[in-house]
Amino acid sequence: MRLSYQKRILLTAIIMVTALVLVMAALWFPLVKRDVKIMDAIFVIDITDSMNVKDVELDGKKVSRLEWSKEFARRTLLEMPCGAHAGLAIFSEARSLILMNPVEVCSSYHDLTQMLEQFNPYMAWARSSEVSKAVYTAIRQAKKIDPKPTIVMFTDGHESPPINPTLFPKFAGTPGEIHGILVGVGGDELLPIPKTNDKGVIEGVWGVNEVMHEDVYASMRADKDVNPNKPRTEHLSSQKKSHLATLANRVGFAFVSSPKDPLDLVDTIRDESNTREQTIDYDLYAWFSGAALLLILLVFLPYRWFVRIDD
Amino acid sequence: MFELSWAHPIFFYCLPLALLPWIFQNTTKKIAWQGFIPKDSLSGVLFVLSKLAASVAMICLILTLADPYVPEQIVERTRQGAEFVILLDRSRSMDDQFARPPRNTLQRYTGVKHSKREVSRDYLTEFVKRRPDDRFGYVFFSTKATEILKLTYNKDAVLATINAGGLGRGISQTDIFKALSLAVNMYKDEPYRGSRNILLISDGGQILSTEQKQYLQDVFKKMRLNLYWIYLRSMRGMTLDPSDNDNLLWIDMPERKLHKAFKTLGVPYQAFEAGSLDEFAQAIDEIHKQQSQPLIVEERVPKQHHHDLFLWLALLSLFPLMLSRVITVWGVKRAAHKH
Repeated sequence: MRLSYQKRILLTAIIMVTALVLVMAALWFPLVKRDVKIMDAIFVIDITDSMNVKDVELDGKKVSRLEWSKEFARRTLLEMPCGAHAGLAIFSEARSLILMNPVEVCSSYHDLTQMLEQFNPYMAWARSSEVSKAVYTAIRQAKKIDPKPTIVMFTDGHESPPINPTLFPKFAGTPGEIHGILVGVGGDELLPIPKTNDKGVIEGVWGVNEVMHEDVYASMRADKDVNPNKPRTEHLSSQKKSHLATLANRVGFAFVSSPKDPLDLVDTIRDESNTREQTIDYDLYAWFSGAALLLILLVFLPYRWFVRIDD
Repeated sequence: MFELSWAHPIFFYCLPLALLPWIFQNTTKKIAWQGFIPKDSLSGVLFVLSKLAASVAMICLILTLADPYVPEQIVERTRQGAEFVILLDRSRSMDDQFARPPRNTLQRYTGVKHSKREVSRDYLTEFVKRRPDDRFGYVFFSTKATEILKLTYNKDAVLATINAGGLGRGISQTDIFKALSLAVNMYKDEPYRGSRNILLISDGGQILSTEQKQYLQDVFKKMRLNLYWIYLRSMRGMTLDPSDNDNLLWIDMPERKLHKAFKTLGVPYQAFEAGSLDEFAQAIDEIHKQQSQPLIVEERVPKQHHHDLFLWLALLSLFPLMLSRVITVWGVKRAAHKH
């Protein structure tokens, strides 16, 4: 394609006028309304003793499941879009205790992380760890919060005392009424559980004779078919994936085992949540100035490398 | 002071593009002989200026795309206000009904019954909302005390924490001394900014030992702490101060003992007995008058974008450039018509 000198001059002038108009638009074009999808979530962190097992890796270092959960929750908060809300809760004994209702993540990021930092085994008010019931209480409390948050629970799924595989703790709610995700933490190998004293300091590990190895129902029965002889391993802990999957299924939650990337977790939260549309004012200046820049570039590109230019 | 940060520094790689106008020229015209061109130093200057304008415009637009901003800053200002550490009782007794009628009265259904926890949440929310300039910390305690929220100005976070305190059920028993010591420790790590207060919300009393009392007395005085207690009565009619028509059962209540102990600490102390929210609101305003001390507050200045500056520069350099091009078109047209 060849352009005559006159045409080139004319085109350049047109481009310059357009670029100028675009820059003016970038400066003065009014803000447009745009809807973004935001979510509300409550991060529940398991602070029971089994979470002190050091069998997870964080940036190449072996850390405890609790430390990993706290850090991963923090990174997830960081990846959540501004406008999204997040709250915090801890789980010990048989309950989830909500400590902060959902707040906007960007403006309250500092306070959320400060609170997350405080989570430690000392806060536990009892030494048992009944995961299923904790999930149920979290659901019950989430119903009272408006808008209803999605529960994101970091746990290894270790039930202590153990539960009977057929007599599961009864879930009174409707599955799927509250959305949620169980985030499985911990390795596959059975490892001894550090034992904390009432000051939250680790003192040795739980011994084989210090924990219940049968659920309450089976332990009271003598018959062999209810109470088969099986290895006593409840003083050891690993990530109980199949239990967490069953539990998630029962309450209509999703189950994610040891996620790698906080961004993926944010995506899962978004998929699982009832997202709300929030209207934000969006400035189009970047598009206008980008277009203006491209137009000006057009004038100065080295066309003679590709086409012959006469005149 | 004026430190710019860039949201998308990757655009800096585009900056060399601004050299293009100095290397390539697509609007030149080949002419047979140089001698045809009149010597004109002004057009030489204009030639350089137009290239400069094009470069400046491109640089400015690239910098606009890189999104310059001044990050969120914290500015210290002096205001009238105070610092509060809220000590919330999360023990099981807080789940009980607030101000239940004495056992010897007839049971009458009188509408919704509120637990003490719910009442405490309403009072605290009112408290925080009425004191916009104050800084709050939050501790919950039962048999153990845990600092949940460090002292912060963020009202959203404080209110969300208070609201969460109204959810669910209590966890254990009460140890007020531990909670008070923790609150004291929270202030120990902080520079003195202004009036320091501890706000205790509890339904239970406790008998303090002599050593505990001595410790509190020393440390409260040394650190200039003020103590407030929002008392949530379990029984209707029960007061912290003895009155004439006292029920015999109330005389030795631990609440009264604790109240008496607090009074003898020799530090500013005030108890609010939760009754009506309006009365409470008045009492809060009263605190406000007492605590009208200057307090150094930190204010957050949100992130500010500064791309407008570069857009203006781009506009200023583009305008003469555009004019020169339009004039060129006009000139070339006129020259063509002459032939």
